[in-house]
Amino acid sequence: MARMKFYCDAERCIECNGCVTACKNENEVPWGVNRRRVVTIKDGEPGERSLSVACMHCSDAPCAAVCPVDCFYTTDDGIVLHDKDTCIGCGYCFYACPFGAPQFPSSVAFASRGKMDKCTFCAGGPEETHSADEFTKYGSNRIAEGKLPLCAEMCSTKALLAGDADVLSDIYRKRVINRGASVLNWGVQYKKAGIDG
Amino acid sequence: MTGIKDKKSARMRKAVYCCVLSLLFVLAAPLIPYVIDAHAEDVTSSKANKPVALQHPGINLWNDVRQRNEVTQGSSQVKGVDSGILINKTGEDWRRFRMEMLMPYGAYFMAAIVTAIVLFFLLRGKLRLPGGRSGELVCRFTLNQRTAHWFAVGIFWLLGITGLILLYGRFVLIPLLGADGFSITASACKEMHNLIGPLFLLAVLALLVLYIKDNFFNRDDITWITKGGGMFGGHVSAARFNAGEKTWFWLVMIFGFLLCITGLILDFSVFGQGREIMALSHVIHGISALILITVSFGHIYLGTIGVEGTLEGMTTGYVDANWAKSHHDLWYEEMSATAEEQQGIKQSVASSSTKPASSPAGD
Repeated sequence: MARMKFYCDAERCIECNGCVTACKNENEVPWGVNRRRVVTIKDGEPGERSLSVACMHCSDAPCAAVCPVDCFYTTDDGIVLHDKDTCIGCGYCFYACPFGAPQFPSSVAFASRGKMDKCTFCAGGPEETHSADEFTKYGSNRIAEGKLPLCAEMCSTKALLAGDADVLSDIYRKRVINRGASVLNWGVQYKKAGIDG
Repeated sequence: MTGIKDKKSARMRKAVYCCVLSLLFVLAAPLIPYVIDAHAEDVTSSKANKPVALQHPGINLWNDVRQRNEVTQGSSQVKGVDSGILINKTGEDWRRFRMEMLMPYGAYFMAAIVTAIVLFFLLRGKLRLPGGRSGELVCRFTLNQRTAHWFAVGIFWLLGITGLILLYGRFVLIPLLGADGFSITASACKEMHNLIGPLFLLAVLALLVLYIKDNFFNRDDITWITKGGGMFGGHVSAARFNAGEKTWFWLVMIFGFLLCITGLILDFSVFGQGREIMALSHVIHGISALILITVSFGHIYLGTIGVEGTLEGMTTGYVDANWAKSHHDLWYEEMSATAEEQQGIKQSVASSSTKPASSPAGD
């Protein structure tokens, strides 16, 4: 069984935010909610790198562990999803998640948190596959169509990869070898690239 | 001729040596890095006990991302609180605190106090009034004080029960109500907790204003504490409030205000407070709430079935004079001295009736 993962290659990401836009458009995410974001560290300095981040679909997901109503579940593909009908909008998943993935629409009375929204790996939710309910609550279900998440499919530099963890690590291993980071000149290529500056 | 021949052969020999040497060098060339490596290892191992001299090339980037050295604030086109931070480790600390400390130890703490109270009740039973009821009534709490108390009680238990359901419901109530049933319950609890919560600040403020006067510790409290509050027999003098009641008052004040402050931080999440502040607030909120809930069990026990004649002070406002003499003798003496002016002591005609004939002027 596949174990679905995202991987963002810091050597390739150019901070175009195409993944963010693709996600918002594909899933028709409400205003103020961004399931994916690109973070740039050392912006404008030597060694600047960007990474695209969303829900990482953890094996031991902290959000699922702390949820007071136990609304999270993991699919057979290792995708962490949640049930918005059960969610009470308490925000505990937001405190627990290290990546800041859970998002809360604030259009509810007294600006309290609405039901949580997060990246679904374009795998919809617990509603009937491709139903209108599923799309309204969770966005599109590309996995059911045999497609991968649109953010990774749209990535112009193929920095953001999505798919089976074994396949992704093979692709990344080949990239690392091609960059020349072999044992004998370890660090040389990275130094040239300014990553170790 | 021979000389020329010797010269030629000598040159040939040199050329052959050179060829052999360069061939050897070419053959041995791939070994050079290993030689250098072995040499470098010798140097490093002789200088310091560092087994690895090379760092991972991306170590600075990933140390920054993992916030290992300091909090590295990145930037993002997506605007939001903490959106520039890739990995925030405090969430894991908060998860461990909530799941491995707050929930189990909170439950143990509550269970221990309840067990202790049940055991004490079984051993000592209800503490009866010595000499029965006198029929003489003493005004203990004014209407304002009683209103503030019951207002605080209502809010406290509304918040306490909804809070406990949110903390333990997943493990206690989901098996009973099912996921959908518990979701509705939890949603109602969360909304009620968030909407009613700010009112607790009013309740604590009202208690502070109306009760602080008689709750300052003094020298009598030390003797009260050293005698164990009369728990092991014997009579202990006390003023209007004994040291135990004063401690409860200050616990309510300290943890009540902590609960209010942290609760407001958690409730109104629109002022740009980040996850660290929220998680820390939740830690303080949880500890304070469980302390107040557990100690309140003792307060409720002593105020209701534990000690005869106590509850009526908070419901009707009047207590029996014998109760006052027995539990708060210093206060009773003070009251008797100024009885006429304050109309604090009422003589009821029928000794069986505990209701006051009329309300005192101060009510």
